[in-house]
This record gives sequence, C-alpha cells and structure tokens, in this order.
Amino acid sequence: MEVEIRIEPGRREPKAVILTGEENEELRRLAESLSRLALGPIPVIRGEEKLLLPQGDFLRFYTDGKGVSAQTAKESYSVRLRLYELEEQLDATRFVRISNGEIINLNRVTAVDLSLAGTICMTLDGTVKAYVSRRYVKKIKETLNLGRRNRHEKG
Amino acid sequence: MKKDERALLVRILIGGAAGLLAALILYPYLMNTRLVTPVVCLLCAGLGASAGVATLPFADDSRSLLLRSGAHFLVTSVLFLLLVAQYCGWWWQDLLLWEGILALLYALIWLGRWIGWYMEVVQLRTLLGLEPGPSPLKWRETLPYLPFVLLLCDGLPLVLRWLDAPDVPVLSGLILPYLLLPVAGFSSGLSLGKRQGVCPLYPVACFVCYLPMVYLLFNYTALFHCFMVAVPALAGNVLGWMYRRAVPKAQ
Repeated sequence: MEVEIRIEPGRREPKAVILTGEENEELRRLAESLSRLALGPIPVIRGEEKLLLPQGDFLRFYTDGKGVSAQTAKESYSVRLRLYELEEQLDATRFVRISNGEIINLNRVTAVDLSLAGTICMTLDGTVKAYVSRRYVKKIKETLNLGRRNRHEKG
Repeated sequence: MKKDERALLVRILIGGAAGLLAALILYPYLMNTRLVTPVVCLLCAGLGASAGVATLPFADDSRSLLLRSGAHFLVTSVLFLLLVAQYCGWWWQDLLLWEGILALLYALIWLGRWIGWYMEVVQLRTLLGLEPGPSPLKWRETLPYLPFVLLLCDGLPLVLRWLDAPDVPVLSGLILPYLLLPVAGFSSGLSLGKRQGVCPLYPVACFVCYLPMVYLLFNYTALFHCFMVAVPALAGNVLGWMYRRAVPKAQ
C-alpha cells in the first residue's frame, strides 16, 4: 500500500485519508483500527509553562492527592485533565488504566512481578514502579490482545 | 445499599442457612443424638456464613487482602475451635490438631489462588513480550541450594551422630541443634535471599530434609531440630531479600 505523510503546520491531531477504488473488509478494519489510535499530544503544566508533549513520551499518569500528574522518563508534570478524560484522549492500544488512580504506557513496561501477597508490580523504564489492581488485570489483557491484533493486521 | 454490600449480605445469608442445615443433618449423625443445641446451630450458621464470604478478600490487593484474609481466618478459626470443642470437649491436643488442619486448608487455598495470580502475570509477561520471569514460588531458583540443604540436614547429623560418644551426644544433641543448624540455616537463607529474593520453599526444604533424621537418629522429642534450621533459614532469607531491596536505594 502506498503511504504518504503530509506536514500541515498548526494541526494538532493527525488525520488519515484512505484513497481506494473500492471498499472492502480489510480496509474497513484498517480504518477502524486507525480511528482507535489517539495520537494527539497531551497538554501538561511545568510551573507556569504550558507544554504539549507527544503521547509516547509519557510513562504514566497518576493521581497524587493534589491532582493528576504525568511522568516522563525525565520529569513529572501537572495535568489539568482528569484520569477518565485522559483515558478518552490517549491511545487505547498503548495506555491502560491499572488502578483507580493510575494509567500507564504499556510500551514502557520493562518488568512485571508478583509479590507473595499477590500484588502485581509493573516496572516502567526499569525504574518507576506501578502497582496493578487485580480488578483491572482483565482489561489490561484485553488491551494487550487488541494491540497485538492490530500489529498483526498491520503486519 | 451498594452492590458489593448486597452481594456480601446474600453470601452471608446463603452460607448461614447452609451451615444451619448442615448442623441439623450432620450433628445428630456425628454425635449419635437427636438433640442439636442452639449453640451448635449458631456456630454452624456462623461457620457457613464465614465460608460464604471466604472468596471475597481475594478480590482486594496487597495490605487490604492480607488484613481481610487474616481477619477471616481468625473469625473462622475461633468459630471452628468452639464447634470442635462442642464435639470433642476441651482437649487441647485435639483442638490444636483440628486448628492445624484448618490452617493447612487455608494455606492450600492461598497457594491455589497465588498460582492463579502467577499464571495471570505469566500471561501479561508473554503479551508484553517480556522474559518469563521467576518460576512459581521460585522453586527453580531454590534448587541450586538443595545439595547444601541435604548436606546440612542429612549428611551433617549422620556424621556428628557417628562421631558422638554414645553416653553424652554433645555434637548431635547440643552443638548441632543450637549452633550449627541455626547458623548454617540463617547464612544460607541470607545468601539465597540476597541473590533471588524471598524463596518460601527454602525453609520448607530445610524442615522436610531434616525430618527423616529426627526419627532415624533421635525420636519425636528432637522435632524442634527441624524448626531450629527452618526458622533461621526463613529469617535469613527475608533479611537477604531486604538487603537486596535496600542496596539499590543506597546506591
């Protein structure tokens, strides 16, 4: 398939147009999986400064008592959005809620461990620990299966 | 009333009713009497209700899971103790035996649940494309220490018993249980903990490997030897794990 990327200054979220002679099932599935991809940057706050960071930079989003924070490999930022609002904006094949107060980037998970007390701990980028609530395990597996299926379809 | 609270109430009521039914059917059969006392009915209903909510603590995580599971075990064991006392009388040996069986049942249920969680973690690792991780309860990681356990818990007692004077067994009766077993158990547990983290099967292996020696070289009064090696092994293992956790933080 011929793929073309055009840069459009000022555009916040990418838009994909599929040009085809006739519609078929594969194209419909491709369109569906593309529409599920949320690639827009996420607005964050560092002190007085407002920034737009690409989704791939984030390790996790979490509530810390004061509000929602976002963590990248380098630093943490404040986020004005609630976790459920972030869930709607984030790429559903990459980001998943792992507890009531945390969303993580599955692409940055480097280890998954189980303690004797049954706590599941995910390590992000080798350093950041995130604890998985057992109620969300099923959803995480569904998300991972979805991501795998999408990769398989694209491959 | 919330959905969870309603589910809890339904479980308690169904469990309680089943317990009461069991009391009315089983107790006369077991005691060879037609009289079922209100106390027995109450205890059976309580035990039934407790069994009805037995799986609920497993829906929680970490500390909450441990606290709720511990509280559930405590309540169940008290009710069970009182019921057994109604059946056998206040004979502490019998009561301890039944409580031990209940504790073993709890441990087995916990192990079953833990293996279920472990399988989920294995699935997550596979889906994430990560390494498979440690074996269940780290049995494979514990294996390299097994030859040492066999030497310590089986070879050493045999040698010491052979070296001992027949009238005063200082080596096997004094030095072995009070010095060699605790020190060697603790040191090896510490080493394993530093390398592999908590390996719960290691103290169990120490206990099980020493057990034949108790009856082969001594008698049941030497059963405490098993604890003299297993408990320090557990303590050393946990300390080694704590050291392993603390060192990266210090760095």
